[in-house]
Amino acid sequence: MKKNTNMVLKKVDREKAPLLTRLSRYKKPLLYTVMILIAIGQLFPLVWLINYSLLRSGELFGAQFIKWPDIPMWSNYVRAWIQGNIPRYFLNSIIVVCSSVLLTVICSFLLAYACTRMEWKLRSTVYGLVLLGMTIPIHATLLPNFMLFNRVGILDTYWGLIIPYTAFSLPFSTLIFSGFLSSFPRTFEESAMIDGCSMWGILARIIAPNTKPAVITVAIMAFVNNWNDFIMANTYISTQSLLTLPFSVIKFMGEYSGDYAAQFACMVFAAFPTLFLYAFLNKYITEGVTMTGIKG
Amino acid sequence: MNKAFRDKRTIFLMIFPGLAFLFFAMIMPIFLSIYYGMTDWPGIGPMNFVGLKNFREIILSDSVFWTSLGNAVKLTLVTLFLQNPLAVIVCIMILACRKNARFFRTVYYIPAIIPIVVTTKLWVGVFNPTYGLLNKFLSVIGLDFLATNWLSNPRTAVWSVILIVIWQGFGWAILFYYSGLVSIPNEFKEAALIDGAGGVKLYTKVILPLMMPVIRAVVIIALITCFKQMETVYLSTGGGPGNITQFLANYLYIKAFVSYEFGYGNALSILFVSISLLGTYLLIRFTRAKAGEY
Repeated sequence: MKKNTNMVLKKVDREKAPLLTRLSRYKKPLLYTVMILIAIGQLFPLVWLINYSLLRSGELFGAQFIKWPDIPMWSNYVRAWIQGNIPRYFLNSIIVVCSSVLLTVICSFLLAYACTRMEWKLRSTVYGLVLLGMTIPIHATLLPNFMLFNRVGILDTYWGLIIPYTAFSLPFSTLIFSGFLSSFPRTFEESAMIDGCSMWGILARIIAPNTKPAVITVAIMAFVNNWNDFIMANTYISTQSLLTLPFSVIKFMGEYSGDYAAQFACMVFAAFPTLFLYAFLNKYITEGVTMTGIKG
Repeated sequence: MNKAFRDKRTIFLMIFPGLAFLFFAMIMPIFLSIYYGMTDWPGIGPMNFVGLKNFREIILSDSVFWTSLGNAVKLTLVTLFLQNPLAVIVCIMILACRKNARFFRTVYYIPAIIPIVVTTKLWVGVFNPTYGLLNKFLSVIGLDFLATNWLSNPRTAVWSVILIVIWQGFGWAILFYYSGLVSIPNEFKEAALIDGAGGVKLYTKVILPLMMPVIRAVVIIALITCFKQMETVYLSTGGGPGNITQFLANYLYIKAFVSYEFGYGNALSILFVSISLLGTYLLIRFTRAKAGEY
């Protein structure tokens, strides 16, 4: 009997694995109360954000702790959308982030392949150096890069963001791919080679399709990180029409400092894309974060 | 092995694009920074080579530099002794929720996925003295006298900034510890239970030691993140009032772009990288021996 249940347990998701201590009857409600309180603590500021975004600007200053609007002011969102220039910033973010994600996936995949499957003298040195990049703070490169990009002529262009975004995404992406690739058996490539396939053909037709889960993890991690970036865009971009989505918040606060409610609506817009992604691709994000953490 | 795996040209073509990006946007700037750090360049106009003068000045007579380091230490201590232990406890509680574990884990991670601009500006709103949630809350529960302008009162400013950082990082710590907890093989837990190690003892004597590698990784990453803190400060207090809430990354940024001491800012930048690298190295070195394995 016991053997049977064990078999079943192995099949189910690890999260449902049996917990060690059994909860007594009165402990369970207590546990859930605490858990829900923490959840409120984590989410309350967000609820407040949405709440304020639906009020009239004047209503914010009332004495009440939290006040639900009688009529939700959806017009706040309209003002934020138009005056906050959301569509333009959104488009910029998409262009810059998607390009750097594409470059990151290709470059880190090749780097990882060369460092795990190919045979050359300096490979562990190069691999170590790439991973060392994870400890280099972005902030320490802001000043020199500003001058460098200016000299090369990519300051205040899309490339001025695509290049550093890609560079800073490479180390952990290479790490994820390497972990994945090193588990492949050698026979994988060997049999294809006997069939007369070239190295690049093997990469494109055999290795790449088999690394799909890692590709998805890398792409999403790079996407979320770069999408949420603020400081690089703040430094390298000054032309308004090139700014990325997080800036809609800053710009809006600067230009319409009295329109509090629409400011909150603007923040909802800026937070929405990654939240949306998270809702659907939660599994990959979770995996990516833990993978880079545990192995790093 | 097959010759194709040793082909120099193929290898070069594989590593070149990635290394080019790293070289251009990461390595070259560090060396440029060393160069700029030894000048008195304001950012435009003539540049004079001043050797190590900037570095000497920072270490010997720049009190803001030391305040910044002090703040990083404060943040680190709070992370280490408050956020992380709390995260471990909450993780154990999440596991106890069994079927709903996934739900709580997902919810707790939400703050970490939102752009830092939004979370920070949101908290600036919560701390706002006129319409902020915090002061309103205090007046509802009858603690009016505690109400203050949280981010500009010198006594509360640092701790308010730290609270924002801790709040945002909490979900991240949960995620890590949680995956560490579930990856401990069940046989260990069962064996411990059979040996009569139940309840608290099970955790302190069996689970925690087994989690040491995870704890080590999380702590190292958390410490580095604390040290690199910038965006939250930049977007909430800007380091003020009077540099009380200053952090190194923000300080070098302001020096270079606001007070036009580009050379000096770069010198700070180099010290910043050096401390980061040295700190990471020491942390990895000193915690290696203590981590258990399974």
